[in-house]
Amino acid sequence: MTPQPGTQASAAQTVVTVNHDVDTIADMYLTFDLGEEEYGVNIAGVTEIVGLQRIMPIPDMPRYLRGVINLRGKVIPLMDVRLRFDMAERAYDERTVIIVMEVDEAPVGLIVDGVREVRDIPPGQIDQRGQMGRNGSRSVIAGIGRVGDRVAVILDPSVLVSDDDFASARDAGTA
Amino acid sequence: MTAAGPDTAPDGGLMRVPSERIGRLMDLVAELSLSVAETVRSPDLVGLELSHFETAVHRLMMIVREVQDAATDMRLVPVDDVFKRLRRMVRELERQTGKKIEVVVSGEDTQIDKMVADRLYDPLLHVLRNSADHGLEPPAERLAAGKTETGHIYLSASQIGSEVRIVVADDGRGLNRTRILAKARERGLFGPEEEPEPSALWKMIFEPGFSTAENVSNLSGRGVGMDVLNTTMTALRGRILVDSTQGKGTRVALHIPVSLAFLDCIILRLGAQLFAVPIEVVSEIARPGTDDLPKVSAGGGRELFRLRGASVPVCRLEHFFDGIDSPPRPANAPPQVIVVFQTAAGHLAVPVDEILDRQQVVMKPLVGRLNRVRASYGCALLGTGEVALVLDCERLAVGGAVQ
Repeated sequence: MTPQPGTQASAAQTVVTVNHDVDTIADMYLTFDLGEEEYGVNIAGVTEIVGLQRIMPIPDMPRYLRGVINLRGKVIPLMDVRLRFDMAERAYDERTVIIVMEVDEAPVGLIVDGVREVRDIPPGQIDQRGQMGRNGSRSVIAGIGRVGDRVAVILDPSVLVSDDDFASARDAGTA
Repeated sequence: MTAAGPDTAPDGGLMRVPSERIGRLMDLVAELSLSVAETVRSPDLVGLELSHFETAVHRLMMIVREVQDAATDMRLVPVDDVFKRLRRMVRELERQTGKKIEVVVSGEDTQIDKMVADRLYDPLLHVLRNSADHGLEPPAERLAAGKTETGHIYLSASQIGSEVRIVVADDGRGLNRTRILAKARERGLFGPEEEPEPSALWKMIFEPGFSTAENVSNLSGRGVGMDVLNTTMTALRGRILVDSTQGKGTRVALHIPVSLAFLDCIILRLGAQLFAVPIEVVSEIARPGTDDLPKVSAGGGRELFRLRGASVPVCRLEHFFDGIDSPPRPANAPPQVIVVFQTAAGHLAVPVDEILDRQQVVMKPLVGRLNRVRASYGCALLGTGEVALVLDCERLAVGGAVQ
């Protein structure tokens, strides 16, 4: 069942505070790991990154919405991105972090295997931008960024948080 | 052109304070109380003998509680402030429509959160305009129908539990079922053969852009008014009930929580899930005996709770909500407790594992994905830092229909 983070202190422990710089922010991406794959989100929506803390379950949510945390008086729903993409469930460990974002004016926390870095990916290094999902809806994949000899799958947070694209996201996630 | 101009307050003893400033104070008070609770329950203190500290803590908690109450009270204003502005508008409406309108006000002393009051004027104005413009007939038509020449609009407020109910009723011609149904069908809201219940049909007038008025006047009929009402009520976690009788009039009732900030709740636990319930809706707490929960096979296995000879329907939260883990209870576990709620639809018995505490909780709205939780007003932040779901017992009682 839900891998509970156990005895971790409930006080939010800020691992990284993202410094917003308006000039370069559009091309800056926070990359993170899900299994062997590397993903990225634009840092514009990222508020902070916090360590795992006590998750309180909330009913009436899909399985990938694990519950909520109380982050200094703010209630933040948590999405396990692995489960969102139908990847194998994995016990949370000391690398597991929560990327707290503000998406469509609501907070959300993404549970990922670990964060890598914040890096600059100019538009020229992003392939397949703005592709549509198979059923014509917006795809959860905003593009494929080339980072040295690796690739980072850049996600569209709005689509990620809604599940309107769900069928197409499933296709993309298991491809 | 709405009468949004500030009312002059010549009263020397009163101070005008922008509501954002009070809002900020409320946020700080909420953070203060959470922070005090966090300090007091710090795991570092476990096992220490701290008698002086305990005394100081006790006093601190009492003060925090009083600060909370004072801050909450500061935001309560009589609904009369809103009613007065509306009355003034009605005189304007009389002039514009050429109808004679008498407003009958009651319950104007009812106290309501200022934040709520500030947001009520626009939607209420639209309801009043609808009554004045479409509901009430012109004097000649009223006389022909055997009514008084002057039309009446009854504006009333009352507090029931933690809810304030504001009712706008008129003695006009009532909603036109044929016309509303035709329009709803035209817009695909009902099938051509479907004959919806009146309450379901009347709700359609809140759909965006839904207007059946033949003449779009400068008063109403543009289909925006009721939508304003709908949006505001969702934001205030309120409910709208419409009732109408052809030829007799229309009644629009708004049920709104008194305060948006603190809520006096009891905290319930079921499995790993915590729930908070406003204290006013709890009518009784009971421990059932072995024969007190009979199943009714003819009712699809529905359970009833026998309470002093009466039968109360049982709602099991683990069945109502999706995804609540309720591991099989060990044989030696203490028996469940039944909390009986008082709702508009009658009593409702809800079995839980444990009743934890009674406390003032800080309520946070369900935003983003969380708004899909049925039958909840929001999340309650508890003194322990935990989060509980605040149950909306009214929606629980009617089966969680999305309102």
